Amino acid sequence: MTKTLPTLRQFLVVLLITVQLAWVLHALSGSPFLSVLLRIVSIGMAELLAFTAAGALRLHWLRPSLARLLAVALMAPAATLALFVLTESGTDAKQVYGYTVLAVLAVVVGVIVALVALRFERRARERDDRLRAERERNTLERELLDARLRLLQAQIEPHFLFNTLANIQALVESGSANAAPVLRHLIAYLKAAMPRLNDADATLATELQLVRAYLELMHMRMPDRLQFSVDTPPEMHGVAFPAMALLTLVENAVRHGIDPSTDGGSIAVGGRADAGGMSLWVEDTGAGMAETNQPGTGLSNVRTRLQAFFGPGARLDLHEVAPHGLRVELNFQPRSSA
Amino acid sequence: MNRITALIADDEPLLREHLRSQLARLWPELVIVADARNGHEAVELFDIHQPQIVFLDVHMPGQNGIETARALARRAHIVFVTAYEQYALQAFEQGAIDYLVKPLDAARLADTVQRLQQRLGRPLDAGAAFDAMLDRMANELKQRTPARGHLQWIKASVGSSVRLIPVEQVAYLRADEKYTMVAWDDGQALIRKGIRELGDELDPERFVQIHRSVIVNLHYVREVVRGVNETADLHLHGRDEVLPVSRSYLHHFRQM
Repeated sequence: MTKTLPTLRQFLVVLLITVQLAWVLHALSGSPFLSVLLRIVSIGMAELLAFTAAGALRLHWLRPSLARLLAVALMAPAATLALFVLTESGTDAKQVYGYTVLAVLAVVVGVIVALVALRFERRARERDDRLRAERERNTLERELLDARLRLLQAQIEPHFLFNTLANIQALVESGSANAAPVLRHLIAYLKAAMPRLNDADATLATELQLVRAYLELMHMRMPDRLQFSVDTPPEMHGVAFPAMALLTLVENAVRHGIDPSTDGGSIAVGGRADAGGMSLWVEDTGAGMAETNQPGTGLSNVRTRLQAFFGPGARLDLHEVAPHGLRVELNFQPRSSA
Repeated sequence: MNRITALIADDEPLLREHLRSQLARLWPELVIVADARNGHEAVELFDIHQPQIVFLDVHMPGQNGIETARALARRAHIVFVTAYEQYALQAFEQGAIDYLVKPLDAARLADTVQRLQQRLGRPLDAGAAFDAMLDRMANELKQRTPARGHLQWIKASVGSSVRLIPVEQVAYLRADEKYTMVAWDDGQALIRKGIRELGDELDPERFVQIHRSVIVNLHYVREVVRGVNETADLHLHGRDEVLPVSRSYLHHFRQM
C-alpha cells in the first residue's frame, strides 16, 4: 500500500540532513544555531511531506516520480516564503537576501535528496519484481513436477481394466473372431499407458495410436452408445507431443460426457495445421459440463504439461457443443524438428 | 406354472450376453425374460415381467444399480454385478448380499446359482438391514460425485462458440448495462448473467465485490492504493486497468 505519510526512516534521514545543513549555515552566516536549525528543519519537513503526499497522486499526464520531484521543488520556496512571512516583521534587504539564499538552497538540496530517494525506491521495486518473478517461476516448475509425478503415479483404473477384460472374456468364450483384435487394442493401450519418465520420444503419431486403441476398446464395450472418429492431417503426425495429454482429454470425454448419458454420443478427435500453428481437439456430444462442475486435476495437468512442452503460448480452451457436449481444443506451435 | 424368471441389467451388451449364456449353461431352467441397458429400463422391464431374480450392474448410466435396487424395493432377489468397485465389494461382503465380480468366475457363478435356488423356495429376505445398506451405499456414491458448489466455469459467447472460462483465469467482472463483462487471461467477453447473481455463485474466498458494478478475483490484486474519501484503486497483476473500490467495499482491504 502506498503511504501518504512519511515513514520514521524518511523522517530521520531528513532530520539528519537538515541538522548538518543548519550547522554549516550557522558557521557560515554567524546566525544563532537554534534559529537556523528551526528554519531549515521546518523547510525540510515540509518538503518531505510534499514528497510523500505527491506519491498518492495519480495523474495520467504526469509520471509519479516527476510529480514528486515537482512537489519538492515547489514546496521549497513556498515553505521558505511562509516562514519569512510568519517570523519576520520588517523587510530589511539583508534578511530578504538571506531568505532568498535559503530558498535556492532548499530547492537544490531538496531536489537532490528526492532524486536519491526515488532511485532507492526504484531499486527496491526492481528487487521486489525480481523476487516475485522468481517465485512465479518456482511455482510453475513445481506445478510441472506435480503434473509429471501424477503421470508417473497414474495407474490404469481397475474398473476400466476389469470391465474390458470381462468383455474380452465374453468374446473369447463365445468364440468371437473379434477377440484377437480387441486383445491387441488392450495390449497397445496397456503398453502406452505404462508410467514413463519423460516425453523425449513421444510423437503425436504414438499418441493417436493410443487414443485409437482406447476408443476401440470403449466402442466394443458400448457399441450402441459410443461412436468415434479420429481424423488428423498426416503432416501433423511427426511432431513431438507430450505423452498421454490427448488421451487424458479423450478419457475425460468418455468418463464425463458419454458414460453418464443413457443415450451416449460421439467423440471426434481432429486436428488442423496451418501457418498460425497447430490445433487438436476432442469434441463429444455427451452430457456436457455444468457451470459448477469441479474442474478435475486432469485438465490443469494437461495445460501445465502443454505449456512446459510447447512454451507459454500453448493453450487449452473449452467450448460448449450445441445442444449438449464439450469441445476441448489445444493450440500450440510445434517444436522445430531437430 | 412354476417358471423361474430373471432380468439382466448392464449397460455393456457383451456382458449381458455373456451372463445370459453362462446362466443358460449352469441353470437351464432359468428364463431370462428381459435385458435392460440402464437402471430406468430395468425398473420398467421389471414392472412388465415381474421376474423373481434381478442381476444388476452397479455402474450404469442414468440410474445406477444401487438406486435401481432401492426402486425395486425388495420385490425380487437381487444379485449385484460389479467390476472392482472397492467400496461396493466391502458393503456387499458386510451385508451378506449376493454379488458377482467381473470378469465372471464360473465357480463363483455356480455358487450364486445354488444359493439362489435354495432361496427361491423361501420368502424374500425380510431386509431392513438390506435397505439400510443400500441407503448407505447410495449416500457414499453421492459423496463420490463432487459437490455442486461455487461457480467453476463461466460460459461466454465468443464469436460463434460458447467458451467455458475457468474462474481462476478471470481477473474481474464488470456490470455493463444488461450484460456483464468478463475480463480473463485471454481477453474479454460479455455474458448475460447479472453481477449480483454472479456474486452469489462465485467462491467468496476468491471473488469479492469492490464496487456496485465490479467483482474482482483477489488472486489478481497486485496493489491497493488508498485514495481520498475512503476509496481506493486496485492495480492488477499483468493488467493495465485500475479498478475503483468504493467506500462500502473498502473493508475487504483493511487488513492488507
